[in-house]
Amino acid sequence: MAVAGSWQPPRPCEVYRAEWELCRSVGHVLHHYYVHGKRPDCRQWLRDLTNCREWEESRSAEAQRSLCESEQVRVQAAQKHTLVWALRQRPPTDWNLPLPQEKDK
Amino acid sequence: MAGAPGGGELGPAAGEPLLQRPDSGQGSPEPPAHGKPQQGFLSSLFTRDQSCPLMLQKTLDTNPYVKLLLDAMKHSGCAVNRGRHFSCEVCDGNVSGGFDASTSQIVLCENNIRNQVHMGRVVTHELIHAFDHCRAHVHWFTNIRHLACSEIRAASLSGDCSLVNELFRLRFGLKQHHQTCVRDRAVLSILAVRNVSREEAQKAVDEVFQTCFNDREPFGRIPHNQTYARYAHRDFQNRDRYYSNI
Repeated sequence: MAVAGSWQPPRPCEVYRAEWELCRSVGHVLHHYYVHGKRPDCRQWLRDLTNCREWEESRSAEAQRSLCESEQVRVQAAQKHTLVWALRQRPPTDWNLPLPQEKDK
Repeated sequence: MAGAPGGGELGPAAGEPLLQRPDSGQGSPEPPAHGKPQQGFLSSLFTRDQSCPLMLQKTLDTNPYVKLLLDAMKHSGCAVNRGRHFSCEVCDGNVSGGFDASTSQIVLCENNIRNQVHMGRVVTHELIHAFDHCRAHVHWFTNIRHLACSEIRAASLSGDCSLVNELFRLRFGLKQHHQTCVRDRAVLSILAVRNVSREEAQKAVDEVFQTCFNDREPFGRIPHNQTYARYAHRDFQNRDRYYSNI
């Protein structure tokens, strides 16, 4: 977490609102069912939006803590599976090498 | 799920080489889409009315899936140069495109890409392979599980398996059908470039599916349409603020 006094919500509050509205949309309910076989749960986006606004209005420490915890849960959920491959430390060295036919010119 | 994919737009018969270019067979082609051209006001979606280079340029300039992938690749040290990393070619068979890891080049099969929408999807699909190549040690030619993983991600995140595309393929399914489509198309893609049995391809897909289906980088979500892709791009551009404040 950023140093106290310099902290701001991880996302602008309007982004939390946009995500909540997208989550609740008919289209998203359909997409979510198509992928996961169940309706989405949009409550956390609303909680995050509420906390974001509360922090903006009153700099509430509890709102800040709740927001951080919520986003940490999202990050952990995205990273819970061990990757099948090893990540690179550097990009491939041949990414920009001339194509074979160009090298022969 | 509807019966086994059929129709004339599947991959070629076993053993028939795909990307018919020098040193072909090393890429990861996208299996061709299904469906028949329609007439009337939808015809513009189904006619090849622009050249491959023109459609490619428009995709690179305007498609939100592609713009995010290009940004993510640049961030990973693999800035994409259109002249170096893309090639429009006439391909044998009915494959739509492929990523050639040996030359770091995306091949677009101009004789098989039907329209601007299709071009966007093919470029997205192949850029996902290129992104994986850039960020990870993907053993394309020696580890079928690695190939399966990238194909699962490409099928899931490119729009290949959108509800609309599946309906056009006359594959009807709703509840969790996306995952069925992703599995099936990943198997098709593996069979298109590797001389393995369907059982081997299916086994590889099954073994890595949970991990790879849930790896949504660089989107962070499954982009069901351009709105999701734009939101994902917004989040990518905001990542410094995000990670410094959680």
